[in-house]
Amino acid sequence: MSRSDPATRRVLREAMPPLRRLMPAVLAGIASGGSAVALLAASAWLITRAAEQPPILFLSLGIVGVRAFALSRAVFRYLERLAGHDAAFRQLAAVRAGVYERMLPVAPDGVPATRGGELLARFVGDVDELQNLALRVVQPVVSALVVLVAAVTGIAFLAPGAAAGLAVVLVAGIGLALFAQHRAGARADRELAPLRGRLQQAVVEHLRTRELLVAYGAAAADLDRIDGLARRLGRVSRARAVAAGAVAAAVAAMGGIGAAVALWLAAPVLSNGGIDGPTLAILALVPLAVAEVAAAIPPAAAAWRVARSAAERVARAVPAEVPPELPVPALAPRALPAGGTAPRLELHGVHADWPGSAELERPSALRPVDLVLDPGERVLVRGPSGSGKTTLAHVLVRFLEYGGSYRIDGIEARELDPHRLRDRIGLVEQRPWLFDESIRQNLIFARDTASDAELEAVVERVGLGDWMRERGGLDAPVGERGALVSGGQAHRIALARAMLADFAVLVLDEPTASVDRARADALLAELLDAASGRSVVLISHTPVAPGLVDRELVLD
Amino acid sequence: MKPLDPRLIRRSGAARGFLVAGGAVALVQAAAVIGFAYGLARLVTDLVAGVPLAELGWAMLLLVGCVLVRALAAWVWEWSGAAGAVRVKTELRRAVLESVDRGAGAPGGTGRLATLLGPGLDALDDYFGRYLPQLVLTVVAMPILLVAVWLADPLSGLILVIVLPLLPIFMALIGLATKQVQQRQWEGLQQLSTAFLEIVGGLSTLVVFNRAERQLGRIRRATDAYRGKTMRVLRVTFLSGFVLEFGASLSIALVAVSIGLRLVSGEMGLLAGLFVLVLAPEVFLPLRNVGAAFHASTEGLEASGEALDRIEAGERVDASATRAATTPPSARSGAAAALRLERFAALRDGRAVAAPVDLELAPGEVVALVGPSGAGKSSLIAALLGFAEADGEAWVDGVTAGPAARPRVAWASQQPLLRAGTVASNVRLGSEHAPEALLEEALAELAVGLEAGHPVGPEGAGLSGGQQQRVAVARAWHRARAEGLRLLVLDEPSSALDAGHEARLAAAVRRLADGGTAVLVASHRPALVAAADRTVELREAVRVAK
Repeated sequence: MSRSDPATRRVLREAMPPLRRLMPAVLAGIASGGSAVALLAASAWLITRAAEQPPILFLSLGIVGVRAFALSRAVFRYLERLAGHDAAFRQLAAVRAGVYERMLPVAPDGVPATRGGELLARFVGDVDELQNLALRVVQPVVSALVVLVAAVTGIAFLAPGAAAGLAVVLVAGIGLALFAQHRAGARADRELAPLRGRLQQAVVEHLRTRELLVAYGAAAADLDRIDGLARRLGRVSRARAVAAGAVAAAVAAMGGIGAAVALWLAAPVLSNGGIDGPTLAILALVPLAVAEVAAAIPPAAAAWRVARSAAERVARAVPAEVPPELPVPALAPRALPAGGTAPRLELHGVHADWPGSAELERPSALRPVDLVLDPGERVLVRGPSGSGKTTLAHVLVRFLEYGGSYRIDGIEARELDPHRLRDRIGLVEQRPWLFDESIRQNLIFARDTASDAELEAVVERVGLGDWMRERGGLDAPVGERGALVSGGQAHRIALARAMLADFAVLVLDEPTASVDRARADALLAELLDAASGRSVVLISHTPVAPGLVDRELVLD
Repeated sequence: MKPLDPRLIRRSGAARGFLVAGGAVALVQAAAVIGFAYGLARLVTDLVAGVPLAELGWAMLLLVGCVLVRALAAWVWEWSGAAGAVRVKTELRRAVLESVDRGAGAPGGTGRLATLLGPGLDALDDYFGRYLPQLVLTVVAMPILLVAVWLADPLSGLILVIVLPLLPIFMALIGLATKQVQQRQWEGLQQLSTAFLEIVGGLSTLVVFNRAERQLGRIRRATDAYRGKTMRVLRVTFLSGFVLEFGASLSIALVAVSIGLRLVSGEMGLLAGLFVLVLAPEVFLPLRNVGAAFHASTEGLEASGEALDRIEAGERVDASATRAATTPPSARSGAAAALRLERFAALRDGRAVAAPVDLELAPGEVVALVGPSGAGKSSLIAALLGFAEADGEAWVDGVTAGPAARPRVAWASQQPLLRAGTVASNVRLGSEHAPEALLEEALAELAVGLEAGHPVGPEGAGLSGGQQQRVAVARAWHRARAEGLRLLVLDEPSSALDAGHEARLAAAVRRLADGGTAVLVASHRPALVAAADRTVELREAVRVAK
């Protein structure tokens, strides 16, 4: 069914719950499917036998059976769903932790998803999709196959010919459905998804430029263009529906054709006395229930497709080996000399690249730079976008490996434990991440021993004291993705966090990017004032007001 | 939640078409199911009675024929569901976009609107593909099958008639009884469900603070808590599914046992008994499927409901605009001027953004509109074009300012607003009929520095800020020339230009003005302001204290 690469197979294997946890759901599924088949068999037998008007005692077993199977079908179905979901959720914790564990050696710059946005949502969605492997693929298929095999075997004891006929019909029906589904799925991947993307892009563009379009009298023409894309999408999805319809048709026909074939093959056996009337009725009706059980297989195949491509993307998103652009922790790290003062940083010919850049044959992200940062100094690193400013910032905190020499108080950074380096050198990112929790929770992880008074003091120091009190203090939420705070406030919170961690060297990456020009200098002055006593590497694509920094390093 | 939005039926021809076609398919399908049940029952009865198979060819044909018709119906459902969904989505998408263009705005932001028109409306695929067919079958086919059962055996019919309505009632009761529990559980579930996303998204922050390794335990704990809470919710949610399954299989058991008992006493025949036994599960099938597809229905309904809300809001805007348009025009029309403002001020939330302005622009004049950032220069221009409310009066080339004046203004907004395509497709926007030569002239005049065929990515990607701005201004220039307009309005056209390009821009504006076009330039750049004939300053609105 699949030709997956080893990394994908590994992800899929890890997504599978252990057998003992999968078992309850599978067993309940078998019991539920089996009950459905048995219910119809018992009913058919009961009615046909009753028509022979035997003493009522002969029927009591059938009556009990009918009632019991009716009850057990519903009960086991309920248990199957509960047990299946429970197993899937339990595995989700393992899947998430496993993927996260593999991310750690390459985090953050080896995992593009951590840069946020669409990529992040997709990655997390893909990881969570993996729980469906057991729930929607393995468990329903295993349950259905067991019931199908058991039902056909059971029928074989009554009339081997009819059993063979039914088996052929089931295999053909399921095979046809799977084939049609494969066609439909391949078509959706190949044509539907890109068209959907283009249509959505056209809609977004129309909305973004709608005033322009309206002012230029071009809105109606653009809507016609969107409709044209929608019509193309319509043609493709109708073509896909032809294949999807074949799946539905095959599933709908399986039971009836199975019944017809079984009757046709069993009729001669009946006439030469091989079976009795009630058995014939069983042979005629059981295919209907069996087909309903078999109907679970095509959706499972579709779910397999989804789960496998999710696994492929997860495997691709997290590299199995640390790429050469990322640091590997030193085996016998040296220790930094202890001391309260900021260390002296010396960079000579430092250059760096992002993971994957070798394949793209892009020029070096950071061309060799020299920089010396004495304790307490403030240096502005300036340059146009693409000149390697953020790359330099990531080298300084050892997110990225470097070429050349980067010494901290005379010790080569490569020989240090990155964790110890990051105890001293901190980064406030261009788009600081705020967790969807309170202000307190967004600060406390920088120093978990901090008291409320200390937290409030640091918030005060970055100029958010009044703002915080307005919102009800440290417990005020910041919202999802910091939705309840402005870009400037987010930077202040991030700076407060960095000050709480008491980094001796602070790297500020474009702290004023989300603030308009007029207020940028004022914010910068405040931020630098709050960070006084520390060495600061300030990164900006625009010049800053004179007097704020000691020196400038221009990248180009 | 209503199963079917009456507004959708009223407004969407495609939705009506789908329902009518669906009703017809449902009738055929019901007939095929009845034919199948009769054929099967007849075959078994006659074979048991000793009739040779050779004499039952007709019953076998009926059986297989009905199976094929049923399979065909399933195929048609799939096809028409896909086709219907696409058509309804296209209709709704266009109507929403048109109402936005007419000025209904995009409450909640364009991001939300784009999500509604994309993934939101895509939920209608499932609504039309899975939910509506079962709903139509429940309404059309189920009663027919019920009547067939009743005619064959009134007692079985009675059992089904009693059980069927009980199912929705029980489901509603379960829903009601557990609503509060569910509500309590869902709260907090949201945060637990995003816990992993939060950690992955904040990973670089966590690495900075050396906290990344500690999150493993937190991931396990949060996911486990998520499982616990979700399972508590599911235990209750699955109950309604249980009721459906249980009701369906219990009725089959009731029917089977009652038929069996009456067969023993000879009160009814085997044919009717088997016929009812085959038919009974079919009666429940659409109802069970409706229950299973219920979630698919709510998402699609919510999306189409929101789309319809926006369309109707747009119609209310239209209605008020029509009323406004029928108010008699003022006596003076300012016909000679390219632009004339009389105590004109843009409004925001009903209040003037800046002090009212009086201004008259003669053809050939270049006037700079100045004022501190945030003084309302862009708002004034938006009001001229009818994108913002305004107080006072204004005429563009003799036409009242607002939507009616748009065909008479060439405008370059503060943001370049480039569209994916080429430089040419951007510059010729709305004036595709103009000769190629004019395009080349526009590119040369504004010193765009790019070939006409140069590709432009979404949001101007691939072009520098200065290039984007020059393309946007060239677009306005091209429009003014192609349509022979008497007014060009430029909003901060040189904010991303260097001094050299700014001088070229000023010269181009002057040459255009010399051709008889009036130019209004909002700018805070001294060089551009100095190049104008006159300067109008926008002052802060005087706030009258109550």
